[in-house]
Amino acid sequence: MAYYVNRNVKLTLWEKLYLPEIFRGMIITSRHFFVNLLGFIPFFLGKKKHREIFTVYYPEEMVDYPIAYRGRPVLPMKEDGSPYCVACGLCEIACPAYCIDIIPGENSGKQNEVERWPLEFTIDYAVCIFCGNCEEACPEEAIYMSNDCEISMLDRNKMKYNKEQLLTPVAELQDRIDFTRTMYAKWNY
Amino acid sequence: MIVDLIVTLVKILFILAVTVGFFAPILTWVERKQSAIMQDRVGANRADILGFTVLGLFHAIADALKMFTKEDFIPDGANRALHTLAPIVAVVPAILTFAVVPFGGNYSLFGKEVNLVIADLDVGLLFIFAIASIATYGYVIAGWSSNNNWSLIGAMRTAAQMISYEVTMGLTIIGVLMVYSTMKLTVIGAIQEDFLRWGIFLQPLGFLMFFTASIAENKRIPFDNPEAESEIVAGYFTEYSGLKFGMFFMAEFIEIVTIGSIMTLLFFGAWHIPFVSTASLLSIFDFLGTTGSNIVVMLIHVGVFFTKVIIFIWIQMTIRWTLPRFRYDQIMKLGWKILLPLSLVNILVTGIVILALQ
Repeated sequence: MAYYVNRNVKLTLWEKLYLPEIFRGMIITSRHFFVNLLGFIPFFLGKKKHREIFTVYYPEEMVDYPIAYRGRPVLPMKEDGSPYCVACGLCEIACPAYCIDIIPGENSGKQNEVERWPLEFTIDYAVCIFCGNCEEACPEEAIYMSNDCEISMLDRNKMKYNKEQLLTPVAELQDRIDFTRTMYAKWNY
Repeated sequence: MIVDLIVTLVKILFILAVTVGFFAPILTWVERKQSAIMQDRVGANRADILGFTVLGLFHAIADALKMFTKEDFIPDGANRALHTLAPIVAVVPAILTFAVVPFGGNYSLFGKEVNLVIADLDVGLLFIFAIASIATYGYVIAGWSSNNNWSLIGAMRTAAQMISYEVTMGLTIIGVLMVYSTMKLTVIGAIQEDFLRWGIFLQPLGFLMFFTASIAENKRIPFDNPEAESEIVAGYFTEYSGLKFGMFFMAEFIEIVTIGSIMTLLFFGAWHIPFVSTASLLSIFDFLGTTGSNIVVMLIHVGVFFTKVIIFIWIQMTIRWTLPRFRYDQIMKLGWKILLPLSLVNILVTGIVILALQ
Protein backbone atom coordinates (compact mmCIF):
# COMPACT_ATOMS: atom_id res chain seq x y z
CA MET A 1 0.00 0.00 0.00
CA ALA A 2 1.43 3.27 -1.01
CA TYR A 3 2.02 5.83 1.70
CA TYR A 4 -0.37 8.68 1.21
CA VAL A 5 0.12 12.14 2.65
CA ASN A 6 -2.97 14.25 2.93
CA ARG A 7 -1.76 17.72 2.06
CA ASN A 8 -5.16 19.34 2.20
CA VAL A 9 -5.79 19.06 5.91
CA LYS A 10 -8.70 21.24 6.88
CA LEU A 11 -7.74 23.30 9.90
CA THR A 12 -10.34 24.37 12.37
CA LEU A 13 -10.77 28.07 13.07
CA TRP A 14 -9.00 27.60 16.39
CA GLU A 15 -5.96 26.18 14.61
CA LYS A 16 -6.10 28.79 11.87
CA LEU A 17 -5.71 31.52 14.47
CA TYR A 18 -2.14 30.17 15.03
CA LEU A 19 -1.68 31.98 18.31
CA PRO A 20 -3.56 29.64 20.70
CA GLU A 21 -1.70 26.63 19.34
CA ILE A 22 1.61 28.48 19.51
CA PHE A 23 0.91 29.35 23.15
CA ARG A 24 0.03 25.72 23.82
CA GLY A 25 3.34 24.60 22.35
CA MET A 26 5.24 27.23 24.29
CA ILE A 27 3.56 26.16 27.52
CA ILE A 28 4.71 22.58 26.93
CA THR A 29 8.31 23.58 26.23
CA SER A 30 8.39 26.07 29.11
CA ARG A 31 7.04 23.40 31.45
CA HIS A 32 9.93 21.14 30.46
CA PHE A 33 12.31 24.07 30.91
CA PHE A 34 11.18 24.92 34.44
CA VAL A 35 10.81 21.34 35.63
CA ASN A 36 14.33 20.54 34.46
CA LEU A 37 15.71 23.82 35.78
CA LEU A 38 14.26 23.19 39.24
CA GLY A 39 15.44 19.59 39.02
CA PHE A 40 19.00 20.84 38.64
CA ILE A 41 19.11 22.76 41.89
CA PRO A 42 18.85 19.88 44.41
CA PHE A 43 21.37 17.98 42.31
CA PHE A 44 23.97 20.73 42.51
CA LEU A 45 23.32 21.22 46.21
CA GLY A 46 24.06 17.54 46.64
CA LYS A 47 20.58 16.80 48.01
CA LYS A 48 19.69 14.51 45.17
CA LYS A 49 21.77 11.91 43.44
CA HIS A 50 20.12 12.14 40.05
CA ARG A 51 19.09 15.01 37.84
CA GLU A 52 15.71 15.22 36.16
CA ILE A 53 17.64 14.96 32.90
CA PHE A 54 18.63 11.50 31.81
CA THR A 55 21.76 12.46 29.88
CA VAL A 56 24.88 10.93 31.43
CA TYR A 57 28.19 12.82 31.50
CA TYR A 58 29.87 9.74 30.10
CA PRO A 59 33.52 9.69 31.15
CA GLU A 60 32.69 11.06 34.60
CA GLU A 61 29.46 9.18 35.14
CA MET A 62 28.70 5.61 34.20
CA VAL A 63 25.44 3.79 33.81
CA ASP A 64 25.15 0.43 35.56
CA TYR A 65 25.21 -2.27 32.94
CA PRO A 66 22.65 -5.06 33.21
CA ILE A 67 24.02 -8.30 34.59
CA ALA A 68 23.50 -10.08 31.27
CA TYR A 69 25.86 -7.59 29.58
CA ARG A 70 28.85 -9.21 27.93
CA GLY A 71 31.97 -7.08 28.29
CA ARG A 72 35.52 -8.33 27.97
CA PRO A 73 36.13 -11.92 29.14
CA VAL A 74 38.33 -12.18 32.24
CA LEU A 75 39.73 -14.94 34.45
CA PRO A 76 38.47 -15.16 38.02
CA MET A 77 41.29 -15.36 40.55
CA LYS A 78 41.50 -17.54 43.63
CA GLU A 79 42.47 -16.16 47.02
CA ASP A 80 46.09 -17.18 46.47
CA GLY A 81 46.27 -15.38 43.13
CA SER A 82 46.08 -18.41 40.84
CA PRO A 83 43.43 -18.92 38.15
CA TYR A 84 40.67 -21.49 38.28
CA CYS A 85 41.65 -22.46 34.74
CA VAL A 86 42.94 -26.00 34.15
CA ALA A 87 44.12 -25.29 30.61
CA CYS A 88 41.75 -27.82 29.05
CA GLY A 89 41.48 -25.77 25.88
CA LEU A 90 37.68 -25.97 25.55
CA CYS A 91 37.32 -22.19 25.37
CA GLU A 92 40.05 -22.12 22.75
CA ILE A 93 37.99 -24.51 20.63
CA ALA A 94 34.66 -22.82 21.39
CA CYS A 95 35.95 -19.42 20.41
CA PRO A 96 34.61 -18.59 16.92
CA ALA A 97 37.18 -15.84 16.44
CA TYR A 98 40.21 -17.83 17.69
CA CYS A 99 41.22 -15.04 20.01
CA ILE A 100 42.19 -17.21 23.00
CA ASP A 101 45.67 -18.68 23.18
CA ILE A 102 46.64 -21.04 26.04
CA ILE A 103 50.00 -22.60 26.83
CA PRO A 104 49.30 -25.29 29.44
CA GLY A 105 51.59 -26.19 32.31
CA GLU A 106 51.51 -29.66 33.93
CA ASN A 107 52.27 -31.02 37.38
CA SER A 108 55.07 -33.54 37.30
CA GLY A 109 53.51 -35.93 39.83
CA LYS A 110 53.63 -33.86 43.02
CA GLN A 111 50.95 -34.70 45.58
CA ASN A 112 48.29 -32.21 46.82
CA GLU A 113 48.91 -29.68 44.09
CA VAL A 114 46.95 -28.61 41.01
CA GLU A 115 47.44 -30.93 38.11
CA ARG A 116 47.20 -28.47 35.21
CA TRP A 117 47.27 -24.75 34.93
CA PRO A 118 47.86 -22.25 32.15
CA LEU A 119 51.42 -21.03 31.84
CA GLU A 120 50.24 -18.40 29.40
CA PHE A 121 46.66 -17.34 28.81
CA THR A 122 46.28 -14.67 26.13
CA ILE A 123 43.09 -13.06 24.85
CA ASP A 124 43.34 -10.73 21.90
CA TYR A 125 40.55 -8.20 22.39
CA ALA A 126 41.15 -6.84 18.90
CA VAL A 127 39.85 -10.18 17.61
CA CYS A 128 37.34 -11.08 20.34
CA ILE A 129 33.69 -10.74 19.31
CA PHE A 130 32.28 -10.84 22.87
CA CYS A 131 29.99 -13.77 22.08
CA GLY A 132 30.33 -15.43 25.48
CA ASN A 133 30.93 -18.92 24.04
CA CYS A 134 34.08 -19.33 26.14
CA GLU A 135 32.05 -18.72 29.26
CA GLU A 136 29.52 -21.35 28.22
CA ALA A 137 32.18 -23.85 27.23
CA CYS A 138 34.23 -23.63 30.40
CA PRO A 139 33.65 -26.62 32.71
CA GLU A 140 35.55 -25.07 35.62
CA GLU A 141 33.80 -21.68 35.87
CA ALA A 142 37.17 -20.18 35.07
CA ILE A 143 36.34 -17.53 32.46
CA TYR A 144 33.62 -14.93 32.73
CA MET A 145 32.36 -11.95 30.81
CA SER A 146 32.92 -8.83 32.89
CA ASN A 147 30.98 -5.59 32.38
CA ASP A 148 34.08 -3.68 31.28
CA CYS A 149 33.82 -2.56 27.66
CA GLU A 150 36.32 0.32 27.61
CA ILE A 151 39.22 -1.42 25.94
CA SER A 152 40.49 1.02 23.36
CA MET A 153 44.22 1.22 22.73
CA LEU A 154 46.52 3.18 20.48
CA ASP A 155 48.59 0.06 19.76
CA ARG A 156 47.18 -3.17 18.36
CA ASN A 157 49.69 -5.28 20.28
CA LYS A 158 48.51 -3.87 23.58
CA MET A 159 45.09 -5.36 22.93
CA LYS A 160 46.60 -8.75 23.71
CA TYR A 161 46.05 -9.27 27.44
CA ASN A 162 48.22 -11.81 29.21
CA LYS A 163 47.35 -13.89 32.27
CA GLU A 164 48.35 -11.29 34.84
CA GLN A 165 46.20 -8.63 33.18
CA LEU A 166 43.24 -10.97 32.85
CA LEU A 167 43.11 -12.19 36.43
CA THR A 168 40.29 -10.54 38.39
CA PRO A 169 39.32 -11.15 42.03
CA VAL A 170 36.41 -13.55 42.08
CA ALA A 171 34.42 -11.25 44.37
CA GLU A 172 34.07 -8.69 41.54
CA LEU A 173 32.51 -11.29 39.29
CA GLN A 174 30.22 -12.89 41.88
CA ASP A 175 27.02 -11.41 40.39
CA ARG A 176 27.85 -12.66 36.93
CA ILE A 177 28.77 -16.11 38.31
CA ASP A 178 25.44 -16.40 40.11
CA PHE A 179 23.64 -15.22 37.01
CA THR A 180 25.28 -17.70 34.69
CA ARG A 181 24.65 -20.57 37.13
CA THR A 182 20.90 -19.88 37.16
CA MET A 183 20.69 -19.20 33.42
CA TYR A 184 22.67 -22.24 32.30
CA ALA A 185 20.75 -24.41 34.76
CA LYS A 186 17.48 -23.15 33.34
CA TRP A 187 18.43 -23.79 29.74
CA ASN A 188 19.80 -27.21 30.68
CA TYR A 189 23.27 -26.80 29.29
CA MET B 1 30.74 70.83 28.17
CA ILE B 2 33.50 68.48 29.31
CA VAL B 3 31.11 66.97 31.86
CA ASP B 4 28.52 66.36 29.13
CA LEU B 5 31.15 64.66 27.02
CA ILE B 6 32.22 62.42 29.89
CA VAL B 7 28.62 61.52 30.73
CA THR B 8 27.91 60.62 27.10
CA LEU B 9 31.10 58.57 26.89
CA VAL B 10 30.14 56.68 30.04
CA LYS B 11 26.70 55.94 28.59
CA ILE B 12 28.21 54.75 25.30
CA LEU B 13 30.67 52.53 27.14
CA PHE B 14 27.88 51.14 29.30
CA ILE B 15 25.73 50.26 26.28
CA LEU B 16 28.69 48.71 24.46
CA ALA B 17 29.64 46.73 27.54
CA VAL B 18 26.09 45.48 28.01
CA THR B 19 25.35 44.56 24.40
CA VAL B 20 28.65 43.57 22.80
CA GLY B 21 30.46 42.68 25.98
CA PHE B 22 27.77 40.91 27.97
CA PHE B 23 24.69 39.94 25.99
CA ALA B 24 26.29 38.85 22.71
CA PRO B 25 28.66 36.27 24.22
CA ILE B 26 26.32 35.17 26.99
CA LEU B 27 23.44 34.60 24.56
CA THR B 28 25.44 31.96 22.67
CA TRP B 29 25.61 30.10 25.96
CA VAL B 30 21.98 30.84 26.83
CA GLU B 31 20.77 29.54 23.50
CA ARG B 32 22.58 26.22 23.86
CA LYS B 33 21.79 25.73 27.50
CA GLN B 34 18.15 26.77 27.31
CA SER B 35 17.46 24.61 24.28
CA ALA B 36 19.15 21.71 26.05
CA ILE B 37 17.13 22.09 29.22
CA MET B 38 13.91 22.48 27.25
CA GLN B 39 14.66 19.27 25.37
CA ASP B 40 15.65 17.29 28.51
CA ARG B 41 19.34 17.38 27.63
CA VAL B 42 22.30 18.70 29.61
CA GLY B 43 23.84 21.10 27.11
CA ALA B 44 27.25 22.69 26.76
CA ASN B 45 29.47 21.79 29.72
CA ARG B 46 32.83 20.67 28.35
CA ALA B 47 34.91 23.87 28.20
CA ASP B 48 36.75 24.25 31.48
CA ILE B 49 39.49 26.31 33.07
CA LEU B 50 41.53 24.30 35.60
CA GLY B 51 38.72 21.79 35.88
CA PHE B 52 35.97 24.31 36.61
CA THR B 53 33.22 24.33 34.03
CA VAL B 54 30.78 26.77 35.73
CA LEU B 55 27.78 25.25 33.89
CA GLY B 56 29.59 25.64 30.60
CA LEU B 57 29.90 29.41 30.78
CA PHE B 58 33.45 29.23 29.44
CA HIS B 59 32.01 28.12 26.10
CA ALA B 60 31.43 31.80 25.37
CA ILE B 61 35.16 32.46 25.79
CA ALA B 62 36.05 29.34 23.84
CA ASP B 63 33.76 30.44 21.00
CA ALA B 64 35.32 33.89 20.91
CA LEU B 65 38.85 32.42 20.87
CA LYS B 66 37.87 30.05 18.08
CA MET B 67 36.39 32.86 16.01
CA PHE B 68 39.51 34.99 16.47
CA THR B 69 41.99 32.30 15.53
CA LYS B 70 40.19 30.70 12.59
CA GLU B 71 41.34 31.30 9.04
CA ASP B 72 39.57 34.21 7.42
CA PHE B 73 38.62 32.59 4.16
CA ILE B 74 37.53 34.46 1.05
CA PRO B 75 36.50 32.18 -1.83
CA ASP B 76 37.82 32.52 -5.39
CA GLY B 77 35.56 34.65 -7.51
CA ALA B 78 34.15 36.50 -4.54
CA ASN B 79 34.17 40.25 -4.57
CA ARG B 80 36.81 40.81 -1.92
CA ALA B 81 35.87 44.35 -0.96
CA LEU B 82 32.15 43.69 -0.63
CA HIS B 83 32.75 40.33 1.02
CA THR B 84 34.70 42.13 3.73
CA LEU B 85 32.26 45.02 3.96
CA ALA B 86 29.09 42.94 4.36
CA PRO B 87 29.49 41.75 7.97
CA ILE B 88 30.34 45.29 9.05
CA VAL B 89 27.20 46.63 7.38
CA ALA B 90 25.25 43.90 9.14
CA VAL B 91 26.62 44.39 12.65
CA VAL B 92 26.94 48.17 12.88
CA PRO B 93 23.21 48.99 12.57
CA ALA B 94 22.44 46.40 15.24
CA ILE B 95 24.70 48.19 17.72
CA LEU B 96 23.80 51.67 16.44
CA THR B 97 20.12 51.18 17.29
CA PHE B 98 20.99 51.45 20.95
CA ALA B 99 22.01 55.09 20.49
CA VAL B 100 18.37 56.16 20.82
CA VAL B 101 17.10 53.48 23.21
CA PRO B 102 16.61 54.98 26.67
CA PHE B 103 17.41 52.53 29.44
CA GLY B 104 16.37 54.81 32.29
CA GLY B 105 14.65 58.10 33.00
CA ASN B 106 15.86 61.52 34.02
CA TYR B 107 17.93 61.86 37.20
CA SER B 108 19.59 64.78 38.88
CA LEU B 109 23.06 63.65 39.91
CA PHE B 110 25.38 66.15 41.64
CA GLY B 111 23.17 69.05 40.58
CA LYS B 112 23.09 67.95 36.97
CA GLU B 113 20.28 66.45 34.92
CA VAL B 114 21.36 63.10 33.47
CA ASN B 115 19.18 61.51 30.83
CA LEU B 116 19.90 57.81 30.39
CA VAL B 117 19.89 57.84 26.60
CA ILE B 118 22.86 58.52 24.36
CA ALA B 119 21.04 60.58 21.72
CA ASP B 120 17.58 61.83 22.69
CA LEU B 121 16.29 62.32 19.16
CA ASP B 122 12.85 63.74 18.48
CA VAL B 123 12.37 61.05 15.84
CA GLY B 124 13.88 58.21 17.83
CA LEU B 125 11.35 55.65 16.66
CA LEU B 126 11.92 56.51 13.00
CA PHE B 127 15.66 56.40 13.57
CA ILE B 128 15.40 52.80 14.79
CA PHE B 129 13.52 51.76 11.66
CA ALA B 130 15.82 53.68 9.36
CA ILE B 131 18.89 52.05 10.90
CA ALA B 132 17.36 48.59 11.10
CA SER B 133 16.58 48.59 7.39
CA ILE B 134 20.23 49.31 6.57
CA ALA B 135 21.11 45.88 7.95
CA THR B 136 19.24 44.34 5.00
CA TYR B 137 21.97 45.70 2.71
CA GLY B 138 24.57 43.87 4.74
CA TYR B 139 22.84 40.54 4.21
CA VAL B 140 22.15 41.14 0.51
CA ILE B 141 25.74 42.26 -0.10
CA ALA B 142 26.99 39.19 1.78
CA GLY B 143 24.91 36.86 -0.36
CA TRP B 144 25.78 38.55 -3.63
CA SER B 145 29.52 38.97 -3.07
CA SER B 146 30.08 35.37 -1.98
CA ASN B 147 29.67 34.04 -5.55
CA ASN B 148 27.71 31.08 -4.22
CA ASN B 149 24.27 29.86 -5.24
CA TRP B 150 23.08 29.15 -1.72
CA SER B 151 24.27 32.53 -0.52
CA LEU B 152 22.43 34.27 -3.33
CA ILE B 153 19.20 32.38 -2.64
CA GLY B 154 19.56 33.23 1.03
CA ALA B 155 20.15 36.87 0.23
CA MET B 156 17.09 37.05 -2.03
CA ARG B 157 14.98 35.44 0.65
CA THR B 158 16.35 37.88 3.22
CA ALA B 159 15.51 40.84 1.04
CA ALA B 160 11.99 39.60 0.30
CA GLN B 161 11.25 38.68 3.89
CA MET B 162 12.68 41.81 5.50
CA ILE B 163 10.93 44.15 3.09
CA SER B 164 7.59 42.37 3.59
CA TYR B 165 7.77 42.47 7.34
CA GLU B 166 9.11 46.00 7.54
CA VAL B 167 5.80 47.16 6.08
CA THR B 168 3.87 45.47 8.88
CA MET B 169 6.31 46.72 11.46
CA GLY B 170 6.03 50.29 10.27
CA LEU B 171 2.24 50.22 10.13
CA THR B 172 2.07 48.67 13.60
CA ILE B 173 4.21 51.45 14.96
CA ILE B 174 1.75 54.02 13.61
CA GLY B 175 -0.77 52.68 16.12
CA VAL B 176 1.75 53.25 18.92
CA LEU B 177 2.45 56.73 17.60
CA MET B 178 -1.25 57.58 17.57
CA VAL B 179 -1.66 56.42 21.15
CA TYR B 180 1.34 58.26 22.58
CA SER B 181 1.31 61.09 20.02
CA THR B 182 5.09 61.35 20.09
CA MET B 183 8.10 59.77 18.43
CA LYS B 184 10.49 60.65 21.20
CA LEU B 185 11.38 57.39 22.91
CA THR B 186 12.18 59.03 26.25
CA VAL B 187 8.71 60.59 26.32
CA ILE B 188 7.07 57.28 25.36
CA GLY B 189 8.95 55.71 28.25
CA ALA B 190 7.99 58.46 30.68
CA ILE B 191 4.28 58.27 29.76
CA GLN B 192 4.20 54.61 30.78
CA GLU B 193 4.81 55.46 34.42
CA ASP B 194 1.03 54.96 34.73
CA PHE B 195 0.51 51.20 34.70
CA LEU B 196 -2.75 51.44 32.75
CA ARG B 197 -1.03 53.35 29.97
CA TRP B 198 1.43 50.58 29.17
CA GLY B 199 1.53 49.83 25.46
CA ILE B 200 0.32 46.28 25.94
CA PHE B 201 -3.06 47.57 27.22
CA LEU B 202 -3.38 50.30 24.61
CA GLN B 203 -2.15 48.26 21.65
CA PRO B 204 -2.53 44.52 22.38
CA LEU B 205 -2.91 43.55 18.72
CA GLY B 206 -0.12 45.91 17.81
CA PHE B 207 2.14 44.19 20.32
CA LEU B 208 1.54 40.74 18.86
CA MET B 209 2.08 41.90 15.29
CA PHE B 210 5.16 43.92 16.22
CA PHE B 211 6.64 40.92 18.02
CA THR B 212 5.96 38.63 15.05
CA ALA B 213 7.35 41.12 12.56
CA SER B 214 10.46 41.80 14.61
CA ILE B 215 11.26 38.11 14.95
CA ALA B 216 10.86 37.87 11.19
CA GLU B 217 13.17 40.87 10.83
CA ASN B 218 15.74 39.09 12.92
CA LYS B 219 15.46 35.99 10.70
CA ARG B 220 15.14 33.56 13.57
CA ILE B 221 12.99 30.44 13.68
CA PRO B 222 10.09 30.26 12.76
CA PHE B 223 11.11 32.82 10.13
CA ASP B 224 14.65 31.61 9.43
CA ASN B 225 14.20 30.87 5.71
CA PRO B 226 17.16 33.13 4.76
CA GLU B 227 19.54 30.84 6.60
CA ALA B 228 17.57 27.59 6.55
CA GLU B 229 20.21 24.98 7.27
CA SER B 230 18.31 22.05 5.82
CA GLU B 231 17.53 23.82 2.56
CA ILE B 232 20.32 26.24 1.60
CA VAL B 233 23.31 25.29 3.82
CA ALA B 234 23.57 28.54 5.80
CA GLY B 235 22.04 31.10 3.47
CA TYR B 236 23.83 34.38 3.01
CA PHE B 237 26.79 33.55 5.31
CA THR B 238 27.65 30.19 3.78
CA GLU B 239 31.04 31.46 2.57
CA TYR B 240 32.01 33.23 5.77
CA SER B 241 34.39 32.00 8.41
CA GLY B 242 36.27 33.27 11.40
CA LEU B 243 35.40 36.60 12.88
CA LYS B 244 33.30 37.69 9.88
CA PHE B 245 30.98 34.77 10.53
CA GLY B 246 31.11 35.73 14.18
CA MET B 247 30.02 39.26 13.30
CA PHE B 248 26.90 37.95 11.57
CA PHE B 249 26.13 35.91 14.64
CA MET B 250 26.84 38.86 16.90
CA ALA B 251 24.46 40.96 14.82
CA GLU B 252 21.75 38.35 15.32
CA PHE B 253 22.26 38.18 19.07
CA ILE B 254 22.45 41.94 19.49
CA GLU B 255 19.24 42.25 17.49
CA ILE B 256 17.58 39.91 19.98
CA VAL B 257 18.52 42.39 22.69
CA THR B 258 17.37 45.30 20.53
CA ILE B 259 13.99 43.67 19.94
CA GLY B 260 13.70 43.01 23.65
CA SER B 261 14.48 46.63 24.52
CA ILE B 262 12.15 48.13 21.92
CA MET B 263 9.40 45.79 23.04
CA THR B 264 9.97 46.78 26.66
CA LEU B 265 10.12 50.43 25.73
CA LEU B 266 7.01 50.58 23.59
CA PHE B 267 4.72 48.02 25.20
CA PHE B 268 5.91 47.02 28.67
CA GLY B 269 6.40 50.22 30.59
CA ALA B 270 10.07 50.79 29.82
CA TRP B 271 11.96 51.22 33.12
CA HIS B 272 8.90 51.57 35.36
CA ILE B 273 7.74 49.11 38.00
CA PRO B 274 3.94 48.63 37.87
CA PHE B 275 2.04 50.91 40.32
CA VAL B 276 5.29 52.44 41.60
CA SER B 277 5.94 55.95 40.37
CA THR B 278 9.38 57.51 40.23
CA ALA B 279 8.38 60.14 42.80
CA SER B 280 7.32 57.52 45.36
CA LEU B 281 10.55 55.58 44.78
CA LEU B 282 12.51 58.79 45.34
CA SER B 283 10.64 59.49 48.58
CA ILE B 284 11.46 55.99 49.89
CA PHE B 285 15.18 56.65 49.52
CA ASP B 286 14.90 60.25 50.65
CA PHE B 287 17.23 59.69 53.62
CA LEU B 288 20.18 59.30 51.24
CA GLY B 289 19.97 62.91 50.05
CA THR B 290 19.08 64.08 46.55
CA THR B 291 22.05 62.58 44.73
CA GLY B 292 22.06 59.39 46.74
CA SER B 293 18.37 58.67 46.26
CA ASN B 294 18.66 59.52 42.58
CA ILE B 295 21.54 57.09 42.16
CA VAL B 296 19.62 54.29 43.90
CA VAL B 297 16.49 54.95 41.83
CA MET B 298 18.58 55.07 38.66
CA LEU B 299 20.13 51.71 39.45
CA ILE B 300 16.71 50.24 40.22
CA HIS B 301 15.29 51.59 36.94
CA VAL B 302 18.18 50.29 34.85
CA GLY B 303 17.87 46.95 36.61
CA VAL B 304 14.13 46.79 35.95
CA PHE B 305 14.63 47.71 32.31
CA PHE B 306 17.19 45.00 31.71
CA THR B 307 15.17 42.45 33.67
CA LYS B 308 12.29 43.06 31.29
CA VAL B 309 14.68 42.80 28.35
CA ILE B 310 15.95 39.48 29.68
CA ILE B 311 12.38 38.19 30.01
CA PHE B 312 11.77 39.11 26.37
CA ILE B 313 15.00 37.40 25.36
CA TRP B 314 13.78 34.29 27.18
CA ILE B 315 10.46 34.43 25.33
CA GLN B 316 12.24 34.79 21.99
CA MET B 317 14.47 31.82 22.80
CA THR B 318 11.45 29.76 23.81
CA ILE B 319 9.71 30.59 20.54
CA ARG B 320 12.86 29.74 18.61
CA TRP B 321 13.11 26.28 20.19
CA THR B 322 9.37 25.54 20.12
CA LEU B 323 8.16 26.28 16.61
CA PRO B 324 9.14 24.67 13.32
CA ARG B 325 10.18 26.72 10.32
CA PHE B 326 7.52 28.24 8.06
CA ARG B 327 7.59 27.42 4.38
CA TYR B 328 8.57 30.32 2.13
CA ASP B 329 5.07 30.80 0.69
CA GLN B 330 3.60 30.63 4.19
CA ILE B 331 5.89 33.44 5.32
CA MET B 332 4.84 35.62 2.40
CA LYS B 333 1.18 34.76 2.96
CA LEU B 334 1.42 35.59 6.65
CA GLY B 335 3.19 38.83 5.93
CA TRP B 336 1.08 40.22 3.10
CA LYS B 337 -2.33 38.60 3.51
CA ILE B 338 -2.72 38.45 7.28
CA LEU B 339 -0.41 40.84 9.12
CA LEU B 340 -0.66 43.74 6.65
CA PRO B 341 -4.51 43.92 6.62
CA LEU B 342 -4.55 43.37 10.37
CA SER B 343 -2.16 46.24 10.97
CA LEU B 344 -4.31 48.49 8.78
CA VAL B 345 -7.38 47.43 10.78
CA ASN B 346 -5.40 48.13 13.94
CA ILE B 347 -4.74 51.69 12.78
CA LEU B 348 -8.41 52.18 11.88
CA VAL B 349 -9.68 50.88 15.22
CA THR B 350 -7.11 52.92 17.15
CA GLY B 351 -8.14 56.02 15.25
CA ILE B 352 -11.85 55.43 15.91
CA VAL B 353 -11.27 54.83 19.62
CA ILE B 354 -9.11 57.94 19.97
CA LEU B 355 -11.75 59.99 18.14
CA ALA B 356 -14.51 58.58 20.34
CA LEU B 357 -12.61 59.37 23.53
CA GLN B 358 -11.99 62.98 22.58
